[in-house]
Amino acid sequence: MNQETPFLRVAGVSKIFEAEGHGHERIQVIDHVSMDLTAGEFAVYLGPSGCGKTTLMRIVGGLETASGGDVVLAGRKVTGPDRQKGMVFQAYTSFPWLTVLENIRFGTKYRNDIDTAQKDEIARHYLDLVGLTEFADFYVNRISGGMRQRVAIARTLAAGADILLMDEPFGALDAQTREFLQDQLLEINRVEKKAVIFVTHDVEEAVFLADRIFMFSARPATIIEVIKVADHIPGERHMDIKETEAFFHLRNHVRDVMRDQARATEEKLERALRPEDGGE
Amino acid sequence: MTRPSLFAYRGQSSGRSDLVLGICAFIGFIGIWTLISHFEVVPQRFLPLPWKVLSALYYMLVERNFSEDIWISVARVWSAFLLSVVMAIPIGMWMSNYRIVGTLIEPIVDFIRYLPVPALVPLLIIWFGIGEASKIAVLWMGTFFQLVLLIADDTKRVPREFIEIGYTLGAKPRQITQDIVLRAMAPSMVDNLRITLGWCWTWIIVAEIVAANSGIGHVIWAARRFVKTPEVMAGILTVGIIGLATDQAIRLLHRRYFRYL
Repeated sequence: MNQETPFLRVAGVSKIFEAEGHGHERIQVIDHVSMDLTAGEFAVYLGPSGCGKTTLMRIVGGLETASGGDVVLAGRKVTGPDRQKGMVFQAYTSFPWLTVLENIRFGTKYRNDIDTAQKDEIARHYLDLVGLTEFADFYVNRISGGMRQRVAIARTLAAGADILLMDEPFGALDAQTREFLQDQLLEINRVEKKAVIFVTHDVEEAVFLADRIFMFSARPATIIEVIKVADHIPGERHMDIKETEAFFHLRNHVRDVMRDQARATEEKLERALRPEDGGE
Repeated sequence: MTRPSLFAYRGQSSGRSDLVLGICAFIGFIGIWTLISHFEVVPQRFLPLPWKVLSALYYMLVERNFSEDIWISVARVWSAFLLSVVMAIPIGMWMSNYRIVGTLIEPIVDFIRYLPVPALVPLLIIWFGIGEASKIAVLWMGTFFQLVLLIADDTKRVPREFIEIGYTLGAKPRQITQDIVLRAMAPSMVDNLRITLGWCWTWIIVAEIVAANSGIGHVIWAARRFVKTPEVMAGILTVGIIGLATDQAIRLLHRRYFRYL
């Protein structure tokens, strides 16, 4: 892995938030995290809520600046957000004043590498790819949450992003829809072959989606374990693998690690919130 | 089946029964008015019968050229309102989009906003005389400082994610403002404009009563001098009708233009 520069290199990234409130608090959310990603690799950031994994993803996306360290994507240092780094949020971000197709078309709006006809063609292409052809002319608040997230994914792809940064995109969906979209996301990316960073705290989601799982500690975030899923679950990823023993096995292992982290987080919070005079 | 939901706490509304009830309430209102006036619970000199008001309105329109006064008031309201709008939209948006603008302007706006507009009228007359400029100034003072904060608030309420999505699709700040923020805030902004236009009608009457020789407010004030209560009420009624009509027209445009809501 060292002989050539990887597609994405996160090198010693730290993040300290300076809270202005009472006194001058410095909260370290990320502590010297390093990781690499090859082109087309699907990474999942798994960690307890509020551990800093989303912040790290936002730093990769250029929406947040690191307090230390570097992010290099496709040979260029990340300095801010742009079309190269596509975002999908948990909150619905498809624009209510546009139809499904217009929303996807919006992804191409600021591209000057293609002409109008190509933009229309690309919008149509991604509309079909995410399976919303029939709903092209629906306003997005007439369609389901799962469909809205598919619109958001299609819009990002239409923008021509090199890497998809997904912040718990299926977090607000019901379990069945979530499973369906997970499967569809993998299917889409079998065609698109984009690098993905997918943030979640759902263990099963992580194991099902990831090429590699990066497990984060409680805040400040450090990577405590990296799992290459293919080493444990060989073969094509499909809904059925969730029933296999290999999947159970890996899921249980990951779950145990995450449970320890969750416990550590809770204990740390309890200690922080306990009145100091009554403390240990 | 509509009855239970009518009386249920926050029950479902139904367009048909709402309309019927609205009309009933209006007829009831006129009815009570008629009764009070007819039996002189209040002397008719103070509360004329409803049709006396209507015939006064008819007389004013036909004999007294009242339509010209209406037109003058409408023109004053709209020119002041548009002036407020053109200034409030960009400034309000800057206040929310750039912290420097917000922190500089907000304290001043907050202060002026609490100054009672009628108290400013004498000052504005000293500054602008008794011509059109002072009326525009009164309306502007009464609406701009409220509107600019409402617009700033609308801007602030656009989800942060929308703006971040804009950046990750390659948009520049100017394009984000134009293509995303303005579009996202448009429905609530139009609502706020509609409400502000209503305030303009309050202030125009104040301004015209104090210093004017034309306009609906002036007509109302002149009729008062001779205790022509029907004419006073006809003037008030006219403002009400214009207000209601404009309000409904904007609501209609709102429904048509923001069909996705």
